[in-house]
Amino acid sequence: MTGQLIQSLVDALSAGATLGLAALSIGLVFGVIRLANFAQAEIITASAYCLIFTWQLGWFIAVPLSMLVAVAMSLLMEFAVFSRMRSANPATLLIASFGLSFLLQRVYELMFSNNVRTAPVASGLAQTVEFAGVRIQLLSVATITIAGLLLLGLHLFLSRTSMGLQLKAAAADFRTARLVGIPAGRVIALSFALSGILAAAVAFVLTVQSGAVGPTFGVQITILALVGAVIGGIDKISGSLAGGFLVGFVTSLLATWLPQEMSNFKDAYVFVLVIGVLLFRPSGLLIKGRGVART
Amino acid sequence: MSIDDNASIDDDASIVDDARSGSGQRGRGLRVEGLEVAYGGVPAVRGIDLEVKAGEAVGLIGPNGAGKSSTLLGIMGAVARSGRVLVKGEDLAGFPPEKVVRRGVALVPEGRHVFAELSVADNLRLGAVARRDRTGYSEAMEHVLTLFPMLRDFGHRQAGLLSGGQQQQLAIGRALMSDPDILLLDEPSLGLSPTAVDTVFEALDVIRAAGKAVLVVEQRAEFTIAFCDRTFVLHDGEITLTLSPEDAEKVDVLTKAYFG
Ligand SMILES: Nc1ncnc2c1ncn2[C@@H]1O[C@H](COP(=O)(O)OP(=O)(O)OP(=O)(O)O)[C@@H](O)[C@H]1O
Ligand SMILES: [Mg+2]
Repeated sequence: MTGQLIQSLVDALSAGATLGLAALSIGLVFGVIRLANFAQAEIITASAYCLIFTWQLGWFIAVPLSMLVAVAMSLLMEFAVFSRMRSANPATLLIASFGLSFLLQRVYELMFSNNVRTAPVASGLAQTVEFAGVRIQLLSVATITIAGLLLLGLHLFLSRTSMGLQLKAAAADFRTARLVGIPAGRVIALSFALSGILAAAVAFVLTVQSGAVGPTFGVQITILALVGAVIGGIDKISGSLAGGFLVGFVTSLLATWLPQEMSNFKDAYVFVLVIGVLLFRPSGLLIKGRGVART
Repeated sequence: MSIDDNASIDDDASIVDDARSGSGQRGRGLRVEGLEVAYGGVPAVRGIDLEVKAGEAVGLIGPNGAGKSSTLLGIMGAVARSGRVLVKGEDLAGFPPEKVVRRGVALVPEGRHVFAELSVADNLRLGAVARRDRTGYSEAMEHVLTLFPMLRDFGHRQAGLLSGGQQQQLAIGRALMSDPDILLLDEPSLGLSPTAVDTVFEALDVIRAAGKAVLVVEQRAEFTIAFCDRTFVLHDGEITLTLSPEDAEKVDVLTKAYFG
């Protein structure tokens, strides 16, 4: 019994970590330019395709390349699309990102067909190990480790470097940041680049998990990540991270512990939770005080 | 005191010419010509001319909604504007704020807007992002900490936890970290206790004496007129009066300034 409990907790932690990273990748950009980028899904998908197609060349090529693809796509979206809509309001930006998302899905369909592409990406991680009577998936441990390292790196970057500090300031108050002299274009590009790195990590974990990638590969996690970010408070970097983690953690536990006929609807419970949060804590569960419109 | 048309600065030797001839002090002032700001087609600033020379403090007063903040934001390039904003003979119109700061203009915004979640030290560090040199950083930091000793004691404290007066000092210190020639302040006395206001204006006096050009927007008319070398009264986006320190006592002038 305790073995099962620990196992399900580790799985939930891993699911929370994945969704936390995905939500953070959205929140990072949102904090700076108020864009909830739905097309983050297609960055994840592109990075995943890259892993599938290049895995046979060796992980030391496939992994950096998939990261490069994600960062490049993220920056490309910024320069080709979003930088041209700077004065648009968040709703317009969100809808534009929807459009971009669908467009890219069609492009993937044309390029790689509707069928999933498969490759045994890091299949070694799919094993379970038995440890003091507890069966644990290696992938879960790897996911938690990857997320921990990325968050540590991000934290050090944001708190120890000048660029990181500028990004933090821009995420907190973009207008004032510019008035202080922080170059807008540079911090925005930085937020997109970091967001791309996080998307690549998410793509890696999901690709190892499923081994198969199709045109809409990144969509589901992105929807859940947006939900998590909103629950936690998309306005704050820490809010999106925590919200994403919470959604991942809870849905994973629900899936394990609810009886089969109820756990099929676990995603529906999440949306009930969102509606509740939006009704009672519109600025997010984890943000103190009332939401303040950015002027 | 002069009214309306005399508010122009044509009779003064041109600061632009000074800059071209490469002279020091006066070339580092600010000159604004025909500044206009509109929000969605509705004008907020309708063709303002003003000049602030190095070592001079100029006031800008007027009722709520007169366009005071819009004027400063227009100079900074934080809102769409037309007209000329001249610094050292260069027209900054069309520059985004981060570039205006790099030309030596810094704004202390209305409501202070310190980065509440960052430490006092980090706020000051961010102020130096736009420094035009790489060497003067520690000197500027020392200068700011001498001007506002309180900031030294609270270096590691979250800026949002400071009192209003302390946050105002931080906001001014942050602006000074970029080593501006021209300092714009939007209602620095807003919501401060009388002693806190004194601290702020004593600092402004030091800053002015150090040869910087200071343009300060204020609600407290009498106080501002007395402090500044010249004070413009803004009404409906236009300068309607120019006052000198002697006018501070004349209540009727003030009344006219606000309701005339
Ligand atoms: N972002 C904005 N969008 C639309 N209108 C604006 C905006 N900012 C200011 N205005 C309008 O422009 C006019 C001038 O505003 P501004 O803030 O410059 O006045 P102010 O003199 O600074 O007033 P206060 O003393 O209240 O600070 C006002 O009519 C105001 O309603
Ligand atoms: Mg104002």
